[in-house]
Amino acid sequence: MIQFRDFSFRYREGADLVVRDINLTIPDGCFVGITGAAGSGKSTLTYAVNGIIPHCYPGDFYGEVVVEGLDTMEASLTDLSRLVGSVCQDIDSQMVATVVEDELLYGLENFAVPREEIPDRVTEALAAMGIADLRDRTIDSLSGGQKQKVAVASVLALRPQVLVLDEPTAELDPASSVAVFDLLARYAREHGTTVIVVEQKIALLSDYADMLVIVDGGRIRFADAPEAVLAHADELLALGVNVPRATTLVNTLADRGLYAGPTVRTVAGAVTAAKEVLA
Amino acid sequence: MIEFKNVSASYDGELAVLRDVSFTVNDGDFVAFVGTNGAGKSTTMRLVNGLLKPTAGEVLVDGVPTGALKTSELARRIGFLFQNPDRQICCATVREELLFGFRALGEDGPAAEARVDAVIERFGFSPDAEPFLLNRGTRQLLALASIIVLAPPVIVLDEPTTGLDFRECEKVMAVVRELNEQGTTVIMVCHDMEVVGDFADRVIAMTAGRVVADGPTFAVLRDPAVLAEAHILPPQITAIALALSDELAACPAPVAAANTVEAMADALAAAAPTSAATPAPAATPDRDGAGVPDELGPNRPGQTATPGRPAPAATPDSPDAEGVR
Repeated sequence: MIQFRDFSFRYREGADLVVRDINLTIPDGCFVGITGAAGSGKSTLTYAVNGIIPHCYPGDFYGEVVVEGLDTMEASLTDLSRLVGSVCQDIDSQMVATVVEDELLYGLENFAVPREEIPDRVTEALAAMGIADLRDRTIDSLSGGQKQKVAVASVLALRPQVLVLDEPTAELDPASSVAVFDLLARYAREHGTTVIVVEQKIALLSDYADMLVIVDGGRIRFADAPEAVLAHADELLALGVNVPRATTLVNTLADRGLYAGPTVRTVAGAVTAAKEVLA
Repeated sequence: MIEFKNVSASYDGELAVLRDVSFTVNDGDFVAFVGTNGAGKSTTMRLVNGLLKPTAGEVLVDGVPTGALKTSELARRIGFLFQNPDRQICCATVREELLFGFRALGEDGPAAEARVDAVIERFGFSPDAEPFLLNRGTRQLLALASIIVLAPPVIVLDEPTTGLDFRECEKVMAVVRELNEQGTTVIMVCHDMEVVGDFADRVIAMTAGRVVADGPTFAVLRDPAVLAEAHILPPQITAIALALSDELAACPAPVAAANTVEAMADALAAAAPTSAATPAPAATPDRDGAGVPDELGPNRPGQTATPGRPAPAATPDSPDAEGVR
């Protein structure tokens, strides 16, 4: 479980609190999607989970953030890193090796994973991301999308209890983005891993997330099941958060008195609603 | 006009990343290239602006092979927006950045200064601001502005909306659309199919270094064979229309043909057996979100929807506030 309790934070060089009054409980195994306009505080929330705040980015820290029972202020960054695997927004800044296999070995060796376990962990993580064929490739020969998959695999190999990913599909085509979310969701289900994804692709988030968190001006405006959040479509748009077209269509049908069912979040849901209208 | 005639290309001289690619982009076109990572889209863009030369075939810009044009001549004809603005921005102030292209071409002077001033005013930039301190969307707009200030007849955009939030995306694409309406040819690589559907007039779909489809946007994005071969997911409303068309024995033609929220809602309303529907509003937005108020009203349902502990009454406002750790 991850708990934010009255959490607020101001970076040392900053004049204002970048997130404030955050109270949020994320149950184990939950797939959480965080979105919001640029500069709203999304990434800061993820830094608070993986301990980058306060251990690397110092500042004024109010309240508590507790990850799997560890207070992030008290726990060491090493201990937090064993619990929380992170994939950065800028993939190039995360890569440390020149060959894909070495990239995965780096974390495993640094965490002193028993030698006999390492080959299987590398194989499993590469297979989980569907990139077993890239094992011997040099990092600089990979496309942006392939690098993103390697970065995720290198974290999965460490078998973290919590996975934090900042825009993991930014450079991926739509089919690959869906494939990565499929893999993350399946991995989370099979291992009970909590997944926190910061993402601008609202349709993708709405499709996969158990909980959608909307951040605006450093505050959480909504944190609920996607259908419950998307029911506030007009407010989301006013906050600069897009809404899936499938949701907009069904909301339009509801506005015209043609549909009285629940908010939908997927194409399949909109197809069902459209059939009801035509029946 | 840009012409690709049986173009093949390779980075290492051995592995062909483009194979026998042919197409023509006419003046004033708005063309989107779509396809999976590694399909050859960005390579095609590098061939357009001469960063890469073909290993076979010809790339012609206004009838002249790119190999016969100097880099500066190509730069005058084709503006190139990189996916990551930080790979493009190189000056200490916004004004310097906008002047950089003129200086590189040896064309700085009063006329260039006047054009830079006009662009600064149009985009609302602070001329003395440091580019790398601007937010991502504004850096993307600055990179775009530094190209269009040179008024090239063609702009090439490699993933112009990646990493931008909804509003930033709308802002950047509004500028692109306006340029196209004023006659600028736009060639865009884009993974966001909603953006492609909203803005491009024509789509070229690629896979494994080949062109698999070239035609009007929704003719391509509605072709099941193309979608499967190029691994493309259509925009959501198009996907809904295709699904209804497949699943209903007698799907009304306007429903099957709809590609926008408004068209689909109108088609469903017209075909619905009920007469209880209320009429559509007089003005409908062009895109999701267009026309919504900029500011929230005073009562915002859902503000209290946050699970976990309720927020405290007092918020720490200063570093000295009680509770700092």
